[in-house]
Amino acid sequence: MELLCLEMDTIIRARPDPNLLCDDRVLQSLLTIEERFLPQYSYFKVVQKDIQPFMRRMVATWMLEVCEEEKCEEEVFPLAMNYLDRFLAVVPTKKCNLQLLGAVCMFLASKLKETRPLTAEKLCIYTDNSIRPQELLEWELVVLGKLKWNLAAVTPNDFIEHIVRKLPLPEDKLALIRKHVQTFIALCATDFKFAMYPPSMIATGSVGAAICGLQLDSADKSQWGDSLTDLLAKITNTEVDVLKECQEQIERVLVSSLREGRQQQQQQQQTQRGPSGKGLDELDQSSTPTDVRDVNL
Amino acid sequence: MATHKRILRTLGNGPTRRNLFGPVDREQLQVEYQAALRKDLEEASHRWGFDFLSEKPLEGGDFQWEGIPGTKVPLLYRSCMLGLGYVDGQRAAGGVVNHSGTRVGPSQSEKENIPRTPERCVLKLENLEKTPEKVENTGVKRKQTNITDFYQAKRRVVWMPRKSGQ
Repeated sequence: MELLCLEMDTIIRARPDPNLLCDDRVLQSLLTIEERFLPQYSYFKVVQKDIQPFMRRMVATWMLEVCEEEKCEEEVFPLAMNYLDRFLAVVPTKKCNLQLLGAVCMFLASKLKETRPLTAEKLCIYTDNSIRPQELLEWELVVLGKLKWNLAAVTPNDFIEHIVRKLPLPEDKLALIRKHVQTFIALCATDFKFAMYPPSMIATGSVGAAICGLQLDSADKSQWGDSLTDLLAKITNTEVDVLKECQEQIERVLVSSLREGRQQQQQQQQTQRGPSGKGLDELDQSSTPTDVRDVNL
Repeated sequence: MATHKRILRTLGNGPTRRNLFGPVDREQLQVEYQAALRKDLEEASHRWGFDFLSEKPLEGGDFQWEGIPGTKVPLLYRSCMLGLGYVDGQRAAGGVVNHSGTRVGPSQSEKENIPRTPERCVLKLENLEKTPEKVENTGVKRKQTNITDFYQAKRRVVWMPRKSGQ
Protein backbone atom coordinates (compact mmCIF):
# COMPACT_ATOMS: atom_id res chain seq x y z
CA MET A 1 0.00 0.00 0.00
CA GLU A 2 2.91 2.29 0.66
CA LEU A 3 3.89 1.67 -2.92
CA LEU A 4 1.07 3.84 -4.15
CA CYS A 5 2.43 7.14 -3.04
CA LEU A 6 5.72 6.30 -4.65
CA GLU A 7 4.01 5.64 -7.92
CA MET A 8 2.61 9.10 -8.13
CA ASP A 9 6.09 10.48 -8.51
CA THR A 10 7.02 11.51 -11.99
CA ILE A 11 9.62 9.45 -13.75
CA ILE A 12 12.93 11.19 -14.02
CA ARG A 13 14.28 11.01 -17.52
CA ALA A 14 17.21 12.65 -19.16
CA ARG A 15 16.34 14.80 -22.12
CA PRO A 16 17.61 13.63 -25.49
CA ASP A 17 21.15 14.85 -25.74
CA PRO A 18 22.01 16.23 -29.20
CA ASN A 19 25.68 15.78 -28.39
CA LEU A 20 25.09 12.06 -28.30
CA LEU A 21 22.32 11.66 -30.82
CA CYS A 22 23.56 13.99 -33.54
CA ASP A 23 27.13 12.80 -33.58
CA ASP A 24 28.07 10.13 -36.08
CA ARG A 25 30.97 9.01 -33.95
CA VAL A 26 28.48 7.65 -31.44
CA LEU A 27 26.71 5.68 -34.15
CA GLN A 28 30.02 4.36 -35.44
CA SER A 29 31.07 3.29 -31.95
CA LEU A 30 27.78 1.51 -31.42
CA LEU A 31 28.26 -0.31 -34.72
CA THR A 32 31.79 -1.26 -33.78
CA ILE A 33 31.01 -2.71 -30.37
CA GLU A 34 27.55 -4.19 -30.91
CA GLU A 35 28.81 -7.62 -31.96
CA ARG A 36 30.53 -8.12 -28.63
CA PHE A 37 27.21 -8.50 -26.93
CA LEU A 38 25.67 -11.10 -29.18
CA PRO A 39 25.10 -14.61 -27.82
CA GLN A 40 27.94 -16.85 -28.87
CA TYR A 41 25.94 -19.76 -30.21
CA SER A 42 22.59 -20.64 -31.54
CA TYR A 43 22.25 -22.44 -28.27
CA PHE A 44 19.27 -24.67 -28.87
CA LYS A 45 21.38 -26.90 -31.07
CA VAL A 46 24.57 -26.81 -29.06
CA VAL A 47 24.10 -26.07 -25.38
CA GLN A 48 20.55 -26.62 -24.27
CA LYS A 49 18.98 -30.02 -23.81
CA ASP A 50 15.92 -29.32 -21.71
CA ILE A 51 14.89 -26.00 -23.20
CA GLN A 52 13.23 -25.58 -26.56
CA PRO A 53 12.53 -22.53 -28.69
CA PHE A 54 8.87 -22.39 -27.75
CA MET A 55 9.85 -22.15 -24.09
CA ARG A 56 12.03 -19.16 -24.80
CA ARG A 57 9.02 -17.64 -26.46
CA MET A 58 6.87 -18.36 -23.41
CA VAL A 59 9.29 -16.78 -21.01
CA ALA A 60 9.86 -13.85 -23.38
CA THR A 61 6.15 -13.19 -23.69
CA TRP A 62 5.83 -13.24 -19.93
CA MET A 63 8.76 -10.88 -19.53
CA LEU A 64 7.28 -8.48 -22.04
CA GLU A 65 3.99 -8.52 -20.16
CA VAL A 66 5.71 -7.79 -16.88
CA CYS A 67 7.70 -4.95 -18.42
CA GLU A 68 4.55 -3.45 -19.88
CA GLU A 69 2.51 -3.83 -16.73
CA GLU A 70 5.28 -2.23 -14.74
CA LYS A 71 5.71 0.45 -17.40
CA CYS A 72 9.39 -0.21 -17.74
CA GLU A 73 11.51 1.84 -20.09
CA GLU A 74 11.40 0.47 -23.61
CA GLU A 75 14.93 -0.89 -23.68
CA VAL A 76 14.53 -2.94 -20.51
CA PHE A 77 12.86 -5.86 -22.25
CA PRO A 78 15.25 -6.17 -25.22
CA LEU A 79 18.20 -5.80 -22.86
CA ALA A 80 16.84 -8.47 -20.53
CA MET A 81 16.42 -10.79 -23.51
CA ASN A 82 20.02 -10.11 -24.49
CA TYR A 83 21.13 -11.22 -21.01
CA LEU A 84 18.91 -14.28 -21.21
CA ASP A 85 20.30 -15.34 -24.58
CA ARG A 86 23.88 -14.74 -23.57
CA PHE A 87 23.40 -16.80 -20.42
CA LEU A 88 21.66 -19.63 -22.24
CA ALA A 89 24.45 -19.67 -24.82
CA VAL A 90 26.90 -20.78 -22.14
CA VAL A 91 24.94 -22.48 -19.37
CA PRO A 92 22.77 -25.56 -19.89
CA THR A 93 19.59 -24.66 -18.03
CA LYS A 94 16.62 -26.66 -16.89
CA LYS A 95 13.16 -25.78 -18.00
CA CYS A 96 11.96 -25.27 -14.44
CA ASN A 97 14.63 -22.61 -13.87
CA LEU A 98 13.92 -20.65 -17.02
CA GLN A 99 11.43 -18.30 -15.43
CA LEU A 100 13.85 -17.58 -12.61
CA LEU A 101 16.44 -16.69 -15.23
CA GLY A 102 13.96 -14.44 -17.00
CA ALA A 103 13.17 -12.65 -13.75
CA VAL A 104 16.86 -12.20 -12.94
CA CYS A 105 17.48 -10.74 -16.40
CA MET A 106 14.64 -8.25 -16.01
CA PHE A 107 15.92 -7.38 -12.56
CA LEU A 108 19.37 -6.57 -13.95
CA ALA A 109 18.19 -4.75 -17.06
CA SER A 110 15.78 -2.68 -15.03
CA LYS A 111 18.48 -1.68 -12.58
CA LEU A 112 20.75 -0.65 -15.40
CA LYS A 113 18.20 1.41 -17.30
CA GLU A 114 15.66 2.77 -14.86
CA THR A 115 15.60 5.40 -12.20
CA ARG A 116 13.15 3.32 -10.24
CA PRO A 117 13.98 -0.30 -10.94
CA LEU A 118 11.78 -3.34 -10.48
CA THR A 119 12.15 -4.82 -7.05
CA ALA A 120 13.03 -8.43 -6.39
CA GLU A 121 9.80 -8.96 -4.49
CA LYS A 122 7.64 -7.67 -7.28
CA LEU A 123 9.32 -9.92 -9.79
CA CYS A 124 8.81 -12.90 -7.53
CA ILE A 125 5.12 -12.11 -7.25
CA TYR A 126 4.92 -12.10 -11.04
CA THR A 127 6.25 -15.66 -11.05
CA ASP A 128 3.30 -16.44 -8.80
CA ASN A 129 5.82 -16.80 -5.99
CA SER A 130 7.37 -19.84 -7.60
CA ILE A 131 10.72 -18.24 -6.81
CA ARG A 132 11.82 -16.34 -3.71
CA PRO A 133 13.58 -13.00 -3.55
CA GLN A 134 16.52 -14.72 -1.94
CA GLU A 135 16.89 -17.04 -4.93
CA LEU A 136 16.54 -14.17 -7.33
CA LEU A 137 19.37 -12.34 -5.62
CA GLU A 138 21.57 -15.41 -5.51
CA TRP A 139 21.10 -16.12 -9.19
CA GLU A 140 21.65 -12.52 -10.00
CA LEU A 141 25.25 -13.06 -8.99
CA VAL A 142 25.54 -16.22 -11.06
CA VAL A 143 24.12 -14.50 -14.14
CA LEU A 144 26.39 -11.51 -13.63
CA GLY A 145 29.38 -13.82 -13.52
CA LYS A 146 28.37 -15.57 -16.72
CA LEU A 147 27.81 -12.24 -18.45
CA LYS A 148 31.24 -11.22 -17.18
CA TRP A 149 29.54 -8.17 -15.67
CA ASN A 150 29.16 -6.74 -19.18
CA LEU A 151 25.69 -5.35 -18.73
CA ALA A 152 25.77 -2.26 -20.87
CA ALA A 153 24.98 -4.22 -24.01
CA VAL A 154 24.03 -2.43 -27.19
CA THR A 155 20.33 -2.86 -27.93
CA PRO A 156 18.38 -2.09 -31.10
CA ASN A 157 16.77 0.77 -29.20
CA ASP A 158 20.13 2.54 -29.06
CA PHE A 159 19.98 3.00 -32.83
CA ILE A 160 16.47 4.34 -33.24
CA GLU A 161 17.24 8.03 -32.92
CA HIS A 162 20.39 7.77 -34.98
CA ILE A 163 18.48 6.19 -37.83
CA VAL A 164 15.29 8.21 -37.63
CA ARG A 165 16.98 11.57 -37.64
CA LYS A 166 18.66 10.79 -40.96
CA LEU A 167 15.41 10.06 -42.74
CA PRO A 168 13.21 12.73 -44.29
CA LEU A 169 10.20 11.99 -42.13
CA PRO A 170 7.29 14.28 -41.30
CA GLU A 171 7.82 15.84 -37.90
CA ASP A 172 4.28 15.11 -36.73
CA LYS A 173 4.66 11.39 -37.41
CA LEU A 174 7.91 10.90 -35.51
CA ALA A 175 6.36 9.92 -32.20
CA LEU A 176 4.16 7.34 -33.89
CA ILE A 177 7.07 5.96 -35.89
CA ARG A 178 9.18 5.62 -32.75
CA LYS A 179 6.39 3.76 -31.04
CA HIS A 180 6.01 1.35 -33.91
CA VAL A 181 9.74 0.80 -34.15
CA GLN A 182 9.91 0.02 -30.45
CA THR A 183 7.06 -2.41 -30.84
CA PHE A 184 8.82 -4.18 -33.70
CA ILE A 185 12.01 -4.38 -31.69
CA ALA A 186 10.15 -5.93 -28.76
CA LEU A 187 8.51 -8.36 -31.15
CA CYS A 188 11.91 -9.38 -32.54
CA ALA A 189 13.21 -9.94 -29.02
CA THR A 190 10.48 -12.50 -28.39
CA ASP A 191 11.49 -14.49 -31.47
CA PHE A 192 14.65 -16.56 -31.37
CA LYS A 193 15.20 -16.06 -35.11
CA PHE A 194 16.51 -12.60 -34.34
CA ALA A 195 18.64 -13.48 -31.33
CA MET A 196 21.85 -13.67 -33.34
CA TYR A 197 21.19 -10.61 -35.49
CA PRO A 198 23.19 -7.50 -34.73
CA PRO A 199 21.03 -4.93 -32.94
CA SER A 200 21.67 -2.35 -35.66
CA MET A 201 20.09 -4.64 -38.23
CA ILE A 202 17.03 -5.25 -36.09
CA ALA A 203 16.72 -1.53 -35.54
CA THR A 204 17.11 -0.72 -39.22
CA GLY A 205 14.70 -3.45 -40.27
CA SER A 206 12.20 -2.26 -37.68
CA VAL A 207 12.39 1.32 -38.87
CA GLY A 208 11.85 0.11 -42.43
CA ALA A 209 8.93 -2.05 -41.40
CA ALA A 210 7.40 0.78 -39.40
CA ILE A 211 7.64 3.27 -42.23
CA CYS A 212 6.20 0.78 -44.73
CA GLY A 213 3.54 -0.28 -42.26
CA LEU A 214 2.43 3.28 -41.72
CA GLN A 215 2.55 3.71 -45.48
CA LEU A 216 4.62 6.79 -45.14
CA ASP A 217 6.74 5.53 -47.99
CA SER A 218 3.86 5.47 -50.42
CA ALA A 219 2.78 9.03 -49.75
CA ASP A 220 5.64 10.45 -51.73
CA LYS A 221 6.99 7.86 -54.11
CA SER A 222 9.50 10.16 -55.70
CA GLN A 223 11.15 10.68 -52.36
CA TRP A 224 11.26 7.08 -51.24
CA GLY A 225 10.60 4.41 -53.81
CA ASP A 226 13.13 1.66 -53.45
CA SER A 227 15.52 4.11 -51.97
CA LEU A 228 14.20 3.70 -48.43
CA THR A 229 15.97 0.39 -48.00
CA ASP A 230 19.08 1.75 -49.70
CA LEU A 231 19.12 4.75 -47.44
CA LEU A 232 18.56 2.64 -44.33
CA ALA A 233 21.28 0.22 -45.35
CA LYS A 234 23.73 3.06 -45.80
CA ILE A 235 23.03 4.50 -42.35
CA THR A 236 24.00 1.33 -40.50
CA ASN A 237 26.41 -0.13 -43.08
CA THR A 238 24.16 -3.10 -43.70
CA GLU A 239 23.95 -4.94 -46.99
CA VAL A 240 20.76 -4.06 -48.82
CA ASP A 241 19.73 -7.66 -49.49
CA VAL A 242 20.31 -8.72 -45.90
CA LEU A 243 18.38 -5.76 -44.63
CA LYS A 244 15.51 -6.43 -47.00
CA GLU A 245 15.37 -10.01 -45.82
CA CYS A 246 15.42 -8.87 -42.20
CA GLN A 247 12.61 -6.41 -42.74
CA GLU A 248 10.53 -9.04 -44.49
CA GLN A 249 11.18 -11.43 -41.63
CA ILE A 250 10.01 -8.82 -39.16
CA GLU A 251 6.87 -8.26 -41.18
CA ARG A 252 6.21 -12.00 -41.30
CA VAL A 253 6.62 -12.31 -37.56
CA LEU A 254 4.21 -9.43 -37.12
CA VAL A 255 1.67 -11.08 -39.37
CA SER A 256 1.87 -14.40 -37.58
CA SER A 257 1.75 -12.86 -34.13
CA LEU A 258 -1.23 -10.77 -35.15
CA ARG A 259 -2.92 -13.86 -36.47
CA GLU A 260 -2.15 -15.67 -33.24
CA GLY A 261 -3.49 -12.79 -31.23
CA ARG A 262 -6.62 -12.69 -33.30
CA GLN A 263 -7.14 -16.42 -32.96
CA GLN A 264 -6.76 -16.15 -29.24
CA GLN A 265 -9.23 -13.34 -29.19
CA GLN A 266 -11.67 -15.29 -31.25
CA GLN A 267 -11.27 -18.33 -29.06
CA GLN A 268 -11.90 -16.19 -26.06
CA GLN A 269 -15.00 -14.75 -27.59
CA GLN A 270 -16.07 -18.27 -28.52
CA THR A 271 -17.09 -17.11 -31.93
CA GLN A 272 -16.64 -18.97 -35.14
CA ARG A 273 -13.25 -18.53 -36.65
CA GLY A 274 -13.06 -17.19 -40.16
CA PRO A 275 -10.69 -18.62 -42.77
CA SER A 276 -7.12 -17.64 -42.11
CA GLY A 277 -6.82 -16.03 -45.54
CA LYS A 278 -9.38 -13.48 -44.56
CA GLY A 279 -7.29 -12.54 -41.57
CA LEU A 280 -4.36 -11.80 -43.81
CA ASP A 281 -6.36 -9.62 -46.15
CA GLU A 282 -7.69 -7.58 -43.32
CA LEU A 283 -4.21 -7.20 -42.02
CA ASP A 284 -2.88 -5.87 -45.27
CA GLN A 285 -5.52 -3.20 -45.30
CA SER A 286 -5.27 -2.19 -41.71
CA SER A 287 -1.50 -2.38 -41.84
CA THR A 288 0.38 -1.95 -38.59
CA PRO A 289 -1.88 -1.60 -35.60
CA THR A 290 -1.36 1.20 -33.15
CA ASP A 291 0.12 -1.18 -30.67
CA VAL A 292 1.08 -4.62 -31.84
CA ARG A 293 1.67 -5.78 -28.32
CA ASP A 294 -1.96 -5.30 -27.47
CA VAL A 295 -2.71 -7.95 -30.02
CA ASN A 296 0.33 -10.02 -29.37
CA LEU A 297 -0.47 -10.72 -25.74
CA MET B 1 -12.44 2.03 -9.26
CA ALA B 2 -9.52 2.87 -11.50
CA THR B 3 -7.30 3.26 -8.47
CA HIS B 4 -8.49 -0.02 -7.14
CA LYS B 5 -7.55 -1.71 -10.38
CA ARG B 6 -4.18 -0.10 -10.27
CA ILE B 7 -3.54 -1.41 -6.80
CA LEU B 8 -4.31 -4.90 -7.96
CA ARG B 9 -2.07 -4.49 -10.96
CA THR B 10 0.69 -3.12 -8.81
CA LEU B 11 0.55 -6.20 -6.70
CA GLY B 12 0.70 -8.32 -9.79
CA ASN B 13 -2.63 -10.02 -9.46
CA GLY B 14 -3.47 -9.81 -13.14
CA PRO B 15 -3.02 -12.57 -15.70
CA THR B 16 0.67 -11.66 -15.95
CA ARG B 17 1.21 -13.23 -12.58
CA ARG B 18 1.81 -16.84 -13.46
CA ASN B 19 4.15 -19.74 -13.02
CA LEU B 20 5.32 -20.86 -16.46
CA PHE B 21 7.10 -24.16 -16.02
CA GLY B 22 5.85 -25.74 -12.83
CA PRO B 23 7.44 -25.92 -9.40
CA VAL B 24 11.10 -25.12 -8.85
CA ASP B 25 13.23 -27.78 -7.16
CA ARG B 26 14.65 -25.60 -4.39
CA GLU B 27 17.26 -28.03 -3.10
CA GLN B 28 18.57 -28.70 -6.56
CA LEU B 29 18.58 -24.98 -7.25
CA GLN B 30 20.67 -24.35 -4.15
CA VAL B 31 23.12 -27.06 -5.17
CA GLU B 32 23.45 -25.61 -8.64
CA TYR B 33 23.83 -22.14 -7.23
CA GLN B 34 26.69 -23.17 -4.96
CA ALA B 35 28.32 -25.13 -7.77
CA ALA B 36 28.03 -22.22 -10.19
CA LEU B 37 29.60 -19.83 -7.74
CA ARG B 38 32.35 -22.22 -6.82
CA LYS B 39 33.17 -22.56 -10.48
CA ASP B 40 33.15 -18.80 -10.94
CA LEU B 41 35.50 -18.42 -8.04
CA GLU B 42 37.84 -21.06 -9.35
CA GLU B 43 37.95 -19.38 -12.71
CA ALA B 44 38.57 -16.02 -11.11
CA SER B 45 41.34 -17.46 -8.91
CA HIS B 46 42.93 -18.98 -11.95
CA ARG B 47 42.63 -15.83 -13.98
CA TRP B 48 43.97 -13.47 -11.37
CA GLY B 49 46.41 -15.84 -9.73
CA PHE B 50 44.86 -15.06 -6.38
CA ASP B 51 43.15 -17.18 -3.77
CA PHE B 52 40.15 -15.07 -2.85
CA LEU B 53 39.29 -17.22 0.14
CA SER B 54 42.53 -16.95 2.01
CA GLU B 55 43.22 -13.60 0.29
CA LYS B 56 46.68 -14.68 -0.73
CA PRO B 57 48.36 -14.63 -4.13
CA LEU B 58 48.82 -17.98 -5.81
CA GLU B 59 52.19 -19.26 -6.93
CA GLY B 60 53.12 -18.65 -10.54
CA GLY B 61 50.32 -16.23 -11.40
CA ASP B 62 50.60 -13.54 -14.04
CA PHE B 63 50.12 -10.73 -11.56
CA GLN B 64 52.16 -9.30 -8.81
CA TRP B 65 50.01 -8.62 -5.79
CA GLU B 66 50.58 -5.91 -3.27
CA GLY B 67 48.76 -5.48 0.03
CA ILE B 68 47.04 -2.18 0.82
CA PRO B 69 45.63 -1.25 4.23
CA GLY B 70 41.85 -1.17 4.23
CA THR B 71 41.69 2.45 5.29
CA LYS B 72 43.38 3.54 2.07
CA VAL B 73 40.70 2.03 -0.09
CA PRO B 74 37.60 4.04 -0.96
CA LEU B 75 34.62 3.25 1.21
CA LEU B 76 32.87 1.53 -1.67
CA TYR B 77 35.40 -1.25 -1.78
CA ARG B 78 35.61 -1.92 1.90
CA SER B 79 32.27 -3.44 2.69
CA CYS B 80 33.04 -6.87 1.38
CA MET B 81 36.30 -7.23 3.19
CA LEU B 82 34.83 -6.37 6.55
CA GLY B 83 32.22 -7.96 8.75
CA LEU B 84 28.66 -7.07 8.08
CA GLY B 85 28.12 -5.33 11.39
CA TYR B 86 30.72 -2.84 10.38
CA VAL B 87 29.11 -2.32 7.02
CA ASP B 88 25.84 -1.48 8.65
CA GLY B 89 27.62 1.02 10.80
CA GLN B 90 29.16 2.60 7.72
CA ARG B 91 25.86 2.73 6.02
CA ALA B 92 24.20 4.45 8.93
CA ALA B 93 27.06 6.88 9.14
CA GLY B 94 26.68 7.61 5.45
CA GLY B 95 23.05 8.47 5.97
CA VAL B 96 23.88 10.90 8.72
CA VAL B 97 26.50 12.53 6.57
CA ASN B 98 23.99 13.03 3.83
CA HIS B 99 21.45 14.63 6.07
CA SER B 100 23.84 17.05 7.67
CA GLY B 101 25.29 17.85 4.29
CA THR B 102 28.91 17.50 5.32
CA ARG B 103 31.51 15.61 3.41
CA VAL B 104 32.67 12.11 4.20
CA GLY B 105 35.94 11.85 6.11
CA PRO B 106 39.19 13.27 4.81
CA SER B 107 40.48 9.90 3.68
CA GLN B 108 38.13 10.01 0.72
CA SER B 109 38.82 13.49 -0.49
CA GLU B 110 42.11 12.54 -2.08
CA LYS B 111 40.49 11.90 -5.41
CA GLU B 112 37.90 14.19 -6.88
CA ASN B 113 35.19 11.82 -7.90
CA ILE B 114 35.53 9.12 -5.35
CA PRO B 115 33.93 10.67 -2.28
CA ARG B 116 30.59 10.89 -3.98
CA THR B 117 30.41 7.31 -5.08
CA PRO B 118 29.92 5.72 -1.68
CA GLU B 119 27.35 8.30 -0.73
CA ARG B 120 25.32 7.68 -3.81
CA CYS B 121 25.61 3.99 -3.26
CA VAL B 122 24.43 4.34 0.29
CA LEU B 123 21.42 6.28 -0.81
CA LYS B 124 20.51 3.73 -3.42
CA LEU B 125 20.80 0.91 -0.96
CA GLU B 126 18.48 2.64 1.41
CA ASN B 127 15.95 3.26 -1.30
CA LEU B 128 16.12 -0.32 -2.35
CA GLU B 129 15.37 -1.40 1.13
CA LYS B 130 12.31 0.77 1.30
CA THR B 131 10.62 -0.33 -1.88
CA PRO B 132 9.82 -3.95 -1.08
CA GLU B 133 7.81 -4.87 1.93
CA LYS B 134 9.96 -7.53 3.51
CA VAL B 135 13.36 -6.05 3.28
CA GLU B 136 15.38 -7.35 6.15
CA ASN B 137 16.91 -10.31 4.41
CA THR B 138 17.05 -8.89 0.93
CA GLY B 139 18.40 -5.62 2.20
CA VAL B 140 21.33 -7.40 3.70
CA LYS B 141 22.12 -9.12 0.45
CA ARG B 142 21.69 -5.99 -1.63
CA LYS B 143 25.03 -4.53 -1.00
CA GLN B 144 27.98 -4.18 -3.27
CA THR B 145 28.89 -7.74 -4.10
CA ASN B 146 32.27 -9.22 -4.43
CA ILE B 147 33.57 -12.44 -5.84
CA THR B 148 34.12 -13.78 -2.33
CA ASP B 149 30.74 -12.68 -1.12
CA PHE B 150 28.94 -15.91 -1.49
CA TYR B 151 31.29 -17.75 0.78
CA GLN B 152 30.82 -15.18 3.44
CA ALA B 153 27.18 -15.10 2.55
CA LYS B 154 26.63 -18.48 4.08
CA ARG B 155 28.33 -17.43 7.21
CA ARG B 156 26.62 -14.10 7.12
CA VAL B 157 23.25 -15.69 7.36
CA VAL B 158 24.32 -17.08 10.67
CA TRP B 159 26.09 -13.96 11.75
CA MET B 160 23.56 -11.40 10.84
CA PRO B 161 20.80 -11.95 13.33
CA ARG B 162 23.29 -11.95 16.15
CA LYS B 163 24.99 -8.80 14.97
CA SER B 164 21.84 -6.85 14.41
CA GLY B 165 20.47 -8.06 17.71
CA GLN B 166 23.39 -6.64 19.60
